[in-house]
Amino acid sequence: MHGQDRNATSAGDIAVRLAGVDKTFHQRQRSEQVRDVFRNLFRPVVREVHALRGVDLAIRHGEIVAYAGPNGAGKSTTVKLLSSVLAPTAGTVRCLGMDPMKDRVRYVGRIGVVFGQRTELWWDQPVAASFEWKRVVWNIPRDRYESMLAFVTELLGIGEFFHTLARQLSLGQKMRADLALMLMHEPEILFLDEPTIGVDVLAKRNILQFVKDLNREKGVTVMITSHDMDELEQLAGRIVMIDRGRIAFDGDFGALRREFGDRRHLVLETADTAPPRLGAVRHVRSEGNRHHFTFDAARTPIPALLQLAAGQTTIRDVETHRSRIDDVIADMYEHWDSDKGGSGDGGDDVASGEG
Amino acid sequence: MRTLTMLLARWRAQARLDFMWMTRDFRFFVINVVSDIVLNLAGITAVFLLAERFGGIGPWSRDQILFMLGYAALVRGILEVGFGYNVLAISRRIGRGQLDHTLVQPQPLWMALLTEGFMPFSGLWQLLTGAGITLWAILQLDAAPSAVWWLTLAGSLAASCAVVLAFSWLWGSLAFWAPVAAEEVSSRAFGFLYQLKSFPLDGLSSFLLAGMLTVLPVGFVAWYPCRQLLGIAPPDFWHTPLAALAVSLVAAFVFRRGLKHYARTGSQRYVGWGHRG
Repeated sequence: MHGQDRNATSAGDIAVRLAGVDKTFHQRQRSEQVRDVFRNLFRPVVREVHALRGVDLAIRHGEIVAYAGPNGAGKSTTVKLLSSVLAPTAGTVRCLGMDPMKDRVRYVGRIGVVFGQRTELWWDQPVAASFEWKRVVWNIPRDRYESMLAFVTELLGIGEFFHTLARQLSLGQKMRADLALMLMHEPEILFLDEPTIGVDVLAKRNILQFVKDLNREKGVTVMITSHDMDELEQLAGRIVMIDRGRIAFDGDFGALRREFGDRRHLVLETADTAPPRLGAVRHVRSEGNRHHFTFDAARTPIPALLQLAAGQTTIRDVETHRSRIDDVIADMYEHWDSDKGGSGDGGDDVASGEG
Repeated sequence: MRTLTMLLARWRAQARLDFMWMTRDFRFFVINVVSDIVLNLAGITAVFLLAERFGGIGPWSRDQILFMLGYAALVRGILEVGFGYNVLAISRRIGRGQLDHTLVQPQPLWMALLTEGFMPFSGLWQLLTGAGITLWAILQLDAAPSAVWWLTLAGSLAASCAVVLAFSWLWGSLAFWAPVAAEEVSSRAFGFLYQLKSFPLDGLSSFLLAGMLTVLPVGFVAWYPCRQLLGIAPPDFWHTPLAALAVSLVAAFVFRRGLKHYARTGSQRYVGWGHRG
């Protein structure tokens, strides 16, 4: 984990704190063999899946934190723990000074949750009806309701489809309506679990801009998960990477890039269609006589590379640029995967036993 | 007092949602009303025709049978009005991961489940059908019911509704452990209860009758309380409420165990259209 010690922040500053949080699920394993039928029925093998292991995390008030990791890393489990939906197996979860499970009713009135593939909208009703329903259930005073409605309508542009049935909205409209609905009670913390999944580029940009504006104007704390690292980099100052239930990195995006090398992309246009051999530098692909490579600029200086290539072929053009954060993350996942296969420590997230 | 205000505000909000939904389109409105009435009548026609053909069934006269059928239809109507959106068919909410939505609302779970299914307009037609048949049967019976009798009728109806609701929740709570299977099992158990609710159970062996009043408490949906109300059996009006209490306690116990399990495991599947589809 990156060196920055978030737990050193004073307690009053902290909006979210997870301390030594474990979350274990049990999955029944079923053999396909007929001879195992009695075992399946009476003594099934139960696999323990450790979704979270000893997670320590602190988020300050007003911070935007990107929470990322490969599929099955534990992102959604963390969001559910923070949304009063799941209880931890071990450790403590505190948010706004409360225990999300014990103080559920009071607590959820102060947070906002959006799950990207779910909707809080009443499906067969106009969007407006869900807002009115929310006003009653969240007990929002009428004047606050009106002013928040004006605020979210302007910020998210929901006016154009406010009287349309929820089931007739596009994915982007639905997400904007869900975000607007979530904000109506003026939550202090937002948990956004893949809020841009499936939405088009324009809608995605609007949603991200909205989250930024909200954080800047109202000081709302945001924890957002996504697989789109470029969008997370635009949005958040801090990224927490989780891998197989453990926090693998916690810091800013610059530090993340440094941690995994100064990854660069090199394009060489040469006289030949065969790519030059550049030692440890990775050849990605060739398009005719344009050859794409990736390399770590901290380890391999560019002049040395060019010299090596020039010794093998005639160089006509050179392009080099920093890799997108997505590529850095892809490398990271690949690295974690290879660790999982190779080391005893990485591969034991699943413990088999009989239950 | 504050709780009552909150309940009333939520029921009012749900009533508004339901009214807007029912009146969104004239053709839809008419089809919905007609189909609800036809459905409710169809559920009781077979038994009524038998009673008409033979001038009654066992100790029941034709009009007494009609009263019981009206009572059964009323129970169904009340449940349709109060517990729609899959609150009655709770296995669907649990098994489709929809409790997650309820848990992120700042209100106790009981309050959400007591109010979210309130559909006074779309469920009204079944209720009116039941009320109409019951009143017509009372007129045919040429009785002059006292105020106490009407109160007893109201109490019995509430107890019968509680029996059906608790029975549905008892089976539906299995969805905490087996989301898909429980939806099937619960819907069969529930369907069985509704199919049998219109049959007079007199003449069954004591073994079968005991089963119909315990394991499958269909007797308490209409038959048993109607016998008391119509004077076919000696009055012991506390039996149906007691049965309601017993089934409710068992259902509450299983549901609470299920909730604890849910907090540990979460929803095992999620269906987007859940209870709002």
